[in-house]
Amino acid sequence: MRKPISTPNFTRRRLLGTGAAGLAASSLGACATSGADDDSEDVSVGDDAENPFGVDPSAPLDVVIFDGGFGNEYAVQHQELYNEKFPDAEISHLATQQISETQQPRFAQGEPADVIDNSGAQEIPIDSLINDGELAELTPLLDAPSIDDPNVTVRDTLRPGSLAKGTFNGKVYGLNYAFSAWTIWYDDKLFTDHGWTAPTTWEEMLDLCPAIQAEGIAPWVYTGVHPVYLYDMFLMLTGRHGGVDVLKAIDNLEPDAWSQESVGLAAEAMYKLWEDGYILEGSPGLDHIQSQTAFNERQAAFIPVGSWLPNEQKGIAPDDFEYAPIGVPYLEGSRQPGLISAGGEEPFIVPQKAANKPGAYEYLRIMLSKEGAQIFGDTVSAATVVEGVKLDNLAAKLTDELVSNPDDLFQPQFRFWYSKMDEEVRPALGALMSGESTPDEFVDRMQTIADETAADDSIEHFTHGA
Amino acid sequence: MRHGKYPFILSFLALPVGLYAWLVILPFAQAFQISFTDWSGSTNQFDYIGFDNYVNLFKDGRFVIPAIKHTAVILVVLPIVTIALGLFFAFMLNIGGRSRQGRIEGVRGARFHKIVYFFPQVLSLAIIGILWKQIYAPPGFGGLLANGLQLFGLPAPANGFLAERALVLGAVIAVLVWSSVGFYLVFFSSAMAAIPRDFYEAGIIDGAGRFQLFFRITLPLLWESVQTAWIYLSIVALDVFVLIYTMTPDQGGPDGASEVVGGVIWKYAFRFADQAFASALGVVLFFAALTLAVVALRAGRRETIEY
Repeated sequence: MRKPISTPNFTRRRLLGTGAAGLAASSLGACATSGADDDSEDVSVGDDAENPFGVDPSAPLDVVIFDGGFGNEYAVQHQELYNEKFPDAEISHLATQQISETQQPRFAQGEPADVIDNSGAQEIPIDSLINDGELAELTPLLDAPSIDDPNVTVRDTLRPGSLAKGTFNGKVYGLNYAFSAWTIWYDDKLFTDHGWTAPTTWEEMLDLCPAIQAEGIAPWVYTGVHPVYLYDMFLMLTGRHGGVDVLKAIDNLEPDAWSQESVGLAAEAMYKLWEDGYILEGSPGLDHIQSQTAFNERQAAFIPVGSWLPNEQKGIAPDDFEYAPIGVPYLEGSRQPGLISAGGEEPFIVPQKAANKPGAYEYLRIMLSKEGAQIFGDTVSAATVVEGVKLDNLAAKLTDELVSNPDDLFQPQFRFWYSKMDEEVRPALGALMSGESTPDEFVDRMQTIADETAADDSIEHFTHGA
Repeated sequence: MRHGKYPFILSFLALPVGLYAWLVILPFAQAFQISFTDWSGSTNQFDYIGFDNYVNLFKDGRFVIPAIKHTAVILVVLPIVTIALGLFFAFMLNIGGRSRQGRIEGVRGARFHKIVYFFPQVLSLAIIGILWKQIYAPPGFGGLLANGLQLFGLPAPANGFLAERALVLGAVIAVLVWSSVGFYLVFFSSAMAAIPRDFYEAGIIDGAGRFQLFFRITLPLLWESVQTAWIYLSIVALDVFVLIYTMTPDQGGPDGASEVVGGVIWKYAFRFADQAFASALGVVLFFAALTLAVVALRAGRRETIEY
């Protein structure tokens, strides 16, 4: 219950409180909550195709790399390319998993690094950085001539859909470097041996399930401890049925977005997997290592993970294991059965207060050259958002087929736009899949949090452009 | 000489007091300051918004309210169970044995037991978390406990203990008890060792059994130790963040069933980038801990018996 500020007592306390806080503020002049406040000027694109941002050749460059699944070897090689161009530039390279712990204080001091690979479990929530005005727009980079062909802008060298995730209200703040898709994986060897064909529709999948079970294999396994793995399976099931606009409505926090028919059908379909006992016993208690190990051991036929899975399991999965991806089998009456969640991952950001912004843009431009993308492909065998760099393995080729239609690429964004909403949707998905809440309860709960998020005027709201 | 006394003392105090002010008082003061702002944690700009964070704390039914409830449960259960077990074991190991030729002794192998019980204390909490995560795993995935239960034909949770909303908090508390009981066993043992044997001998001559020995002699004389243990354990109970972070699904799950105040502070500070809100919660926790310590000391004040 909120009371009107009428009693003198309340006013006095408030005054004292604010006064004390103010006093503390003035006496703590040199601490974390104060710092330099110099906005650096914006970078414009010049005529020189060799150095479009006007980089000072001797200015140092400060790069922070998330040292996770991709390691940081590729970044070292990117930095060598930068140094070939600007031999006098001193590059500081920090590879860490603690992005938030190491970089947040620097933002707070007003002295952030120049380029940050803001990824992993300890990433700084990008929505909050944008709310605070701490990030530089990447427009100059995208409008600059590309390294390989000065007549083509950097923007036009990228795969379709690769900028979607870093775009907030039409402005690009994050360059998601790795290209990946969320798919359903199966073992082609297992399917061939038993004469099964990978299903394309939900019906076909359900029809196949009893045969799979007859072999003592569970049809599905998933990572129950981290329900984030269920996101794109559920949302693509929804979006395939109702078309991409259904998902855009959800992202845009439209009233009743979750009561759309497709949402309910998808929730019911997922719930029914549990009801019918098609999920490997114990899945809600498995982390990603346990669930993927169970999959490698052929305890289950399908697992929803991203396109990095085969690379991650290299040397872990049995030798005869053949990872093959499908899009989530679509429901009957689906309007856009080819829809797939694919696009950029691994966001690189440039802070608004970076000391060497031109250098940061140039560094990203080098990353987005053919040579830079090839380095990434060779060191971590993963695709980048740069078009035309091919990878030589089965799973990558099959994934490429799934993402071949640009109109069918869509990454649902609300979990990146609203990190607090994400925190509610994840466990709700987990509860739905483990049979703890019914589809109706799930939908109600989602609509409630969506409405709360829409009504929260302390955060910036984003929408998909028309 | 006399006139130089104060500068002399001050010169000794300056460094420790300065360090204390800089490293302890200042950060605390700053948390107070931050809690009145809308600071996200990754910018150097913020506005003062008065008590809004404090008001909003108690409107947050998704994180803060459940966290306070769970922390309160831990706050009650952990000290009671740990102290009860610690006292019981200490008594058995020191006094509870069969008396041989009138000598008061513990059960056989007391020294060995003491070392075994103390073992978990030398492990870091993070390791304990990883260890127990595996013990609590689903039966098909090497879950020691679930498999053990099934072996005896008892029901075991199919998804493991930590994925079960009703069991997860209890499972975490059990680990806390397991890891701390050894320390309090040794702590109470040394306190018991200070109680003169004559008291027990007198009691035995008067025909007291083990129960009476414990409740009439041991417990009253250990009261101050129990009180200290209570405060220590309460402080542990207010911060079970490490175990929640390493063991539970989604760090506080499933579906918020093991959310605790320490974990919520972390979530707001680093996952939601709302340092100001996190600081406000931290300030509340600070006062809760302070109040608790004062109340425990006041309420537990008794006559001290010197012996």
